[in-house]
Amino acid sequence: MKLEVKGIHKSFEEKEVLHGVSFEVESGKALGLLGRNGAGKTTTIRILMDVFHANKGEILLDGKPFDREKCSIGYLPEERGLYPKRTVTEQMIFLANLRGMNTADAKKNTEKWLKRLEVEEYAKRKLETLSKGNQQKVQLAATLVCDPDIVILDEPFSGLDPVNSQILKDVVNELIAEQKIVIFSSHQMSYVEEFCDNIAIINKGDVVLSGHLKEIKKDYGKNRLVLSAENYNLSALSEKITGEFAGMVSVMEKKKEFLVLELLGDTTKKQFMQALGGSDIDIEHFGRYEPSLNDIFVARVGNEDEPEEKEQNNRKYA
Amino acid sequence: MKNFWIVLKYELKEYFASKGFVAFTLILAIGGAILLSLPRFIDMSGFTGVGGKEEIEEVKTEAKEDWDKLYLYDEVGVTDIELLKQFFPETEWIIAENVDALKKAVEENEAEAGFVVKSADAYDYYVFNKEMYDHNSAMFDEAMKEFYRISYCSEKNWDYAEIAGMYEVPITVNEQILGKDTQSNYWYCYFLVIIVFMLIVLYGQMIAVSITSEKSNRAIEVLVTSTSPNSLLFGKVVAGAVGGLLQSGIILGSLLISYQFNRAQWGGILDMFLHIPSSVLVTFAFFGLGGYFFYAFLYGAVGALASKTEDISKSSSGLMAVIMAVYVFSLVQLTNIDGPIIKVLSYLPISSYSTMFARIAMGSVSTVEIVISFLILLASIIGAGILGAKLYRMGTLRYGNPIKLSSALKSIRQSE
Repeated sequence: MKLEVKGIHKSFEEKEVLHGVSFEVESGKALGLLGRNGAGKTTTIRILMDVFHANKGEILLDGKPFDREKCSIGYLPEERGLYPKRTVTEQMIFLANLRGMNTADAKKNTEKWLKRLEVEEYAKRKLETLSKGNQQKVQLAATLVCDPDIVILDEPFSGLDPVNSQILKDVVNELIAEQKIVIFSSHQMSYVEEFCDNIAIINKGDVVLSGHLKEIKKDYGKNRLVLSAENYNLSALSEKITGEFAGMVSVMEKKKEFLVLELLGDTTKKQFMQALGGSDIDIEHFGRYEPSLNDIFVARVGNEDEPEEKEQNNRKYA
Repeated sequence: MKNFWIVLKYELKEYFASKGFVAFTLILAIGGAILLSLPRFIDMSGFTGVGGKEEIEEVKTEAKEDWDKLYLYDEVGVTDIELLKQFFPETEWIIAENVDALKKAVEENEAEAGFVVKSADAYDYYVFNKEMYDHNSAMFDEAMKEFYRISYCSEKNWDYAEIAGMYEVPITVNEQILGKDTQSNYWYCYFLVIIVFMLIVLYGQMIAVSITSEKSNRAIEVLVTSTSPNSLLFGKVVAGAVGGLLQSGIILGSLLISYQFNRAQWGGILDMFLHIPSSVLVTFAFFGLGGYFFYAFLYGAVGALASKTEDISKSSSGLMAVIMAVYVFSLVQLTNIDGPIIKVLSYLPISSYSTMFARIAMGSVSTVEIVISFLILLASIIGAGILGAKLYRMGTLRYGNPIKLSSALKSIRQSE
């Protein structure tokens, strides 16, 4: 299966909040939807779930308009909530029934997912009697109880302790292995890096970066190098590089343990290495720069980009 | 449609699993049935007028000491104590020595009241605190007129007994009601209009709370992405309506059956409320339930406009005002059942549940009028349901202050 979101526009009152959001994701892959608060991630997800209607654009599944009735979807909304006064099992069976599953299968799946998420002991308890973390796990179990083909998780890790986060990570990996389409939004880049083959970074209603994460990282690190020295601290090294190698490289960033440099013009890595060899710098670490997703994210949406600059940055890596 | 039944079943389960709901129903149903069975087990003849006649006589004899005391000072000598006793049964008459003695007796509560007769057609009435329903003066008026007539006839040498007999000639009436008996149907209608009003207000609020609580506990996003808003709203509203009907049906049914069983012991004194003809109940079933469902959907829509249960009263104030106005108008217009106001009201879906039902039970109404009114009500129920579902869908995720109806309708128009 392949889910494609194409040119989605959405306005509330007079204000347009999504200006043509597009991305795609396939079975057995996970897409990380990233963005700052208010960027439009949840609105995009809600349009996917038909909570909101898009003003323009289309959503396709295997090239055909996405019919949510014909497809099993598990959705964990950002605004968590179930029935506090009903028992865990009762409401999970109810939700599974609503999504088209018969009661016998719903009961079986309820038991399966409660056990998998280690909350089976609370099956007969009212939801309000559970801790926040356990309520969240029940909510995740309710999301998955109908054996969905498409799983959409909006900020799934928020509110989970490290142990429960690990359980959730394992579950997400299992879903990917089972060839499900997984879309999730998160602020926690480490989780996105761990699961997602594809990412889409949304900033102020625009997708500013999207595609295969590995490609993006590779491309983002292209012509960039890391350097540290035994005989210079990073500030002194930065000054020296800026003074002596101004025509070859520029200092992009000073990290905790190394400098990030960018090769200028036609300068090659080899030429710069030779030049370094002729200097008094005692190289401690030298290599290709591999940016973290966090670096890429901060670089893309960390500052208020000018429209022209934003346009220039809208490169596709797919 | 399948999901409508799933929601209905799930919501009904909540009502029936509620200990408060079950306990309230059983207490009222069993308590009411026991109360209506009391004349079977204990003597309530003083209230029902049935059985224990000998004891009634004894009571009357014993109670003589407790009779009311009235003072009389007749300045002109026109009154007759024996005749006064006929006008004032169970009353002891005391002749005062003078006006001051009479006033003192009244002031010191030795007498309930006192009369000072000034002439054949004038008297003073003395009472300490005049009660709401004090009939002493009116009764004494009648007695004074009688004294006057007797005295007048005596002066003319006429036979007063003969003349009085002519005025009091007994007439035998054999009433044959070929249409409707408004007098006896009045109380059924009154009673049933109040029942529907109570159902609408009580269960309407419960329905609104049930819908709003899904927004307040944030379950709504999971729900609207799992099924259609129509299934959700219709399922919830119908569940609330069915829950309310079952509860009130069990209570009312228990009262009616118990009264039917014990009717002889009650001497039929509660017939005006509890001996309801089946034809009236059938009419009530159609119009009463129709009105109930109509308002249930409107309450569902109100619930969708609020985000917190404490905001429901604010959101429902307009609807409540309509319900109250209809209730008051309906009851007032029951005495003018074929008047133009009630005719108009009987076609409006907001009021036909009580007014058309009352017209059928008490007034003149053709079958065509009934069918038209019911079709309007039916269409309005469907319309209210669709509007409710649209508001429910529109209100999804709109948290914060209650949404104004005008702004909600504007949003619906824009989204369409």
